[in-house]
Amino acid sequence: MNDIFGAFPFMAANFGMLLEKTGEHLVISLIPLLAAILVGVPIGIWLGHIHKGEFLAVSITNIGRALPSLALIAILIGFVGIGMLNAMIALFVLAFPPILSYAFQAVNSADRDLTKAARGMGMTPLQVLSKVELPLGLPMIISGIRTAAVLTVSSATIATIAGSGGLGDVILNQVAYGIEGVLAGALWVAVLAILVDQFFALLLRVAAPTGVRRLRAATV
Amino acid sequence: MTLSSTDTPTSQTANSAIVFDQVTKLYSGQAAPALDSLDIEVKSGELVCLVGPSGGGKTTALQLVNRIVDLSSGDIRIGDRSIMDIPAIELRRTIGYAIQQSGLFPHYTVAENIATVPNILKWDKARIKKRTSELLELVGLTPVDTWLGRYPSQLSGGQQQRIGIARALAADPPVMLMDEPFGALDPITRMAVQDEFLEIHRAVGKTTLFVTHDIDEAIKMADRIAILKPGGKLAQYGTPAEVLTHPADDFVAEFLGAERGLKRLALTTVGEVLAAKTDSESGLQQDSNSPQVESDLTLREALSAVSAAGAHGALVMDGGSHLGEVTLHDLVNPPAGAVGARSVEGGGS
Repeated sequence: MNDIFGAFPFMAANFGMLLEKTGEHLVISLIPLLAAILVGVPIGIWLGHIHKGEFLAVSITNIGRALPSLALIAILIGFVGIGMLNAMIALFVLAFPPILSYAFQAVNSADRDLTKAARGMGMTPLQVLSKVELPLGLPMIISGIRTAAVLTVSSATIATIAGSGGLGDVILNQVAYGIEGVLAGALWVAVLAILVDQFFALLLRVAAPTGVRRLRAATV
Repeated sequence: MTLSSTDTPTSQTANSAIVFDQVTKLYSGQAAPALDSLDIEVKSGELVCLVGPSGGGKTTALQLVNRIVDLSSGDIRIGDRSIMDIPAIELRRTIGYAIQQSGLFPHYTVAENIATVPNILKWDKARIKKRTSELLELVGLTPVDTWLGRYPSQLSGGQQQRIGIARALAADPPVMLMDEPFGALDPITRMAVQDEFLEIHRAVGKTTLFVTHDIDEAIKMADRIAILKPGGKLAQYGTPAEVLTHPADDFVAEFLGAERGLKRLALTTVGEVLAAKTDSESGLQQDSNSPQVESDLTLREALSAVSAAGAHGALVMDGGSHLGEVTLHDLVNPPAGAVGARSVEGGGS
């Protein structure tokens, strides 16, 4: 218990250093997250729209879950060497599956009666997607991104073994920073993960059309 | 009631008959066709019900018309044009489409739902607003302003279905396709929405193809009924009176049920019988227990009232005024002139 309280004086004393590590941490976690969003969301939406690729989406998710990121980083050292790129590739691989599979499910699971009604009224496939499937699937797409975000921010901690910096440098280095430092770093990462998660939750509330926001309020 | 033929003057005057010409649909991977050489014509302004047990291909027949499902062979024409000569998306924008459970978009308001097709047709805002109000009045949801901003989840099943019909009518399409639109409603709401829809249909005169598994609904709504049997074959096509009086085969007779004779009585109202009676002599002994029935009740309903009262006839009323009497005999054997009067009135125009 004392160690926990010791973490706060540590934070005060090393605030500059922690901020610097946080900056690194955000870079190595958010860049791969953004890349996974840019690649995974469109692919997931498209596969969901044409109702194909369920096997692919599920398989990628399962492989992603089974793959230990630590092992991945170790293997990647052999290919891309040590450094930020290594960590970012590993985190991309970690973030991609939930983003892809949630986006796929979000669109694939849109009520078939609604999409049939939309087609029957003369919407083009693109209109069915943009007016029906995407708005209704938006909350689930964002859920996938939130899951991936928490996963990348917390897993970026182990990126330190590839020498890419971040808060992992503090957490995994008890020799230099003491138990107070380890705990301070861990708390810092936890708060960071929550903040990133809440950022995307807020994004949904702000960006979603009124009808979608209402729908969400009714179901939660 | 507000009519809207001014919006697209072509729609009401143009020939909008739907002709099924040897239409067959074989889904890939299936041995037997879902619909087998269907040959029917739905005349301009007519309401035709497709009925039959599941596996009869009635929904398939409907979805072939707006090309949600593709033809295997044969042709469907609307007016004089084959549906295959019109791009599917363009075709669908000229056909109203209402489905079971209403199919309303839950993230759209009532106004946005109704404006779906006008929006994709890029009507200007003022026109859409005017049309939306007209339609809400048409389906009886007034005052209009209280409904525009609501979401489907804030409406009852009957109200949702009314909005679904308004949405299908929005761009004033000459043809309407309705796929069990009232299937999910409770019996009382269902009756009310059926009555309203019939009234709307008579007012706007859209050529309507209406799928239902409920033969009573078909008898009530249809100018003509197409009965499909498993394997997608047409068993009979005729007016409700024809079908009930002369079922084409055992399948139709069985499908119509043992109460076929009673169902036929639902085609005629007490008022029609009274009007067709040649002898002014009522023949009704003035039992004190003769029930009073409104002239717009069907014979079937009147018969039920008479039976429940243990009487031999009924007093026909119109609001407060007494129009005359009908006997049990009149109810069970309506004069020839009265039968089918409704169908004639409902057909066309």
